[in-house]
Amino acid sequence: MTAHYGEELQDLLDGRLAEPRRSEVTAHVETCVRCRRELDALRWIKSGMPKQVGEAEPPPDLASRVRASLDAADATDAAAASRRSFASRVPRRAWIAAGLAAAAVLVVFARGDRPSALPALVAADFAAYESAAAQGGGGGLDIQSSDPKAVEAHFARNGIAFPTRVFDLGMMQYRLAGGRVHELDGRPSALFAYRGPEDTALVCQMYPGSVSELPATDDVRENNGITFHVFRSGNVTLVFWQEGDVVCVLTSSAPTETVVQLAFVKAVRVESLAPRG
Amino acid sequence: MTPPPPHTPHRELDSESRRAEFEATALSFLGVVYGTARRLTRGSDDAEDLVQETYLRAYRTFDNFVRGTNCRGWLLTIMYSVFINHYHKTRRDPATASIDELEERFQAYLESGDDAGEAATTVEVHGVRLSPEVDQALSRLPEEFRAAVLFVDLDGLSYDEAAVVLACPVGTVRSRLYRGRKLLFAALQDHAVTLGFRKIER
Repeated sequence: MTAHYGEELQDLLDGRLAEPRRSEVTAHVETCVRCRRELDALRWIKSGMPKQVGEAEPPPDLASRVRASLDAADATDAAAASRRSFASRVPRRAWIAAGLAAAAVLVVFARGDRPSALPALVAADFAAYESAAAQGGGGGLDIQSSDPKAVEAHFARNGIAFPTRVFDLGMMQYRLAGGRVHELDGRPSALFAYRGPEDTALVCQMYPGSVSELPATDDVRENNGITFHVFRSGNVTLVFWQEGDVVCVLTSSAPTETVVQLAFVKAVRVESLAPRG
Repeated sequence: MTPPPPHTPHRELDSESRRAEFEATALSFLGVVYGTARRLTRGSDDAEDLVQETYLRAYRTFDNFVRGTNCRGWLLTIMYSVFINHYHKTRRDPATASIDELEERFQAYLESGDDAGEAATTVEVHGVRLSPEVDQALSRLPEEFRAAVLFVDLDGLSYDEAAVVLACPVGTVRSRLYRGRKLLFAALQDHAVTLGFRKIER
């Protein structure tokens, strides 16, 4: 066989090949050293390279600099409310199109017919964590660590049979506090917690199941091909989504849009997580 | 604090609520935006100014942001536009790597495989280790390829999202990413083994 697959190797790597082409390219890579080497190189850039790149923390005064420039803008706007001339320069037609699609969805929270108590249980777990944490002693976490790998290893050692993915939210200003092996609705759940700006708590749970078990919500968002189910309980926001056989849920008393945005950033489509073969 | 129903346009909010909503939605991305600004500006002091300008423009155009859509993508779109129009053009590129030379090196890498012996090659990524070589090699890639790798592989944008940020068709993202990844690999090949790329032969 003399043909090589070039850009289609990248399509395979990025989960962008449909059958039957996917099987064809996969089979070819098994036998073609050159294509396999190319795929390995591309895969290293995709998965290995990012881990070698330094992340700089924002300078401590950057947030206040940004706020000061917003203050200045507010003051200018108050003086001349009509000046909004920057708007047309930014090419953001596609975001607006995506937004219109999202806006077409009714976004008032309502309970559906299905009697699942999962959101209420998850909200209760969050409240329990908050009150335990407020009394000191780490909020009932089995392991206190800011290292996602250590918390993942803890889950694996203590009976969580599915692979967990403890997020690094440092760039979002949420710091991992730790985790514990939990039980949610009679099933094992990997629970891990973060502290964010102004000491806001954020709790994530991963449990085997399906988002189809959730009650209906009218606040459903789509981002990157993933569906997010948003619930509110008092001032607590819950965002559920599916990753393979596991459901992930983020829970926090941070503003709803903040929690939704955190979920958008961290959710992955599972078929693109690990290259096969 | 209960936010207003999501269909309320921001412009109908009073200025205080609008500001509070902007901060809740956009300011949590400060770290992400700063990280991308650092890489776009190749680690220079311009990063902070770029971040500030980005937030200012985002705030001024916040009425056009549709609540519930991807705020990170929206911020990066604004930032890349500011960067291309104001920062990139005013500065000379640092010595960019020779594309021809890198392409040749990549071909040589592809052809250096031992056809008979290599039954399986596996890429293993070891623990996190920061390597100045990677930052350096990235900063020497020509802008169009660098931006594609940066937004897709480092910022984790989908092709569709990157196409919006880069204001180009998805097919262009695909081909720039493909070339960018190959060029970057060629530039890093000497380091790649110590950086966690290795072959395990059966």
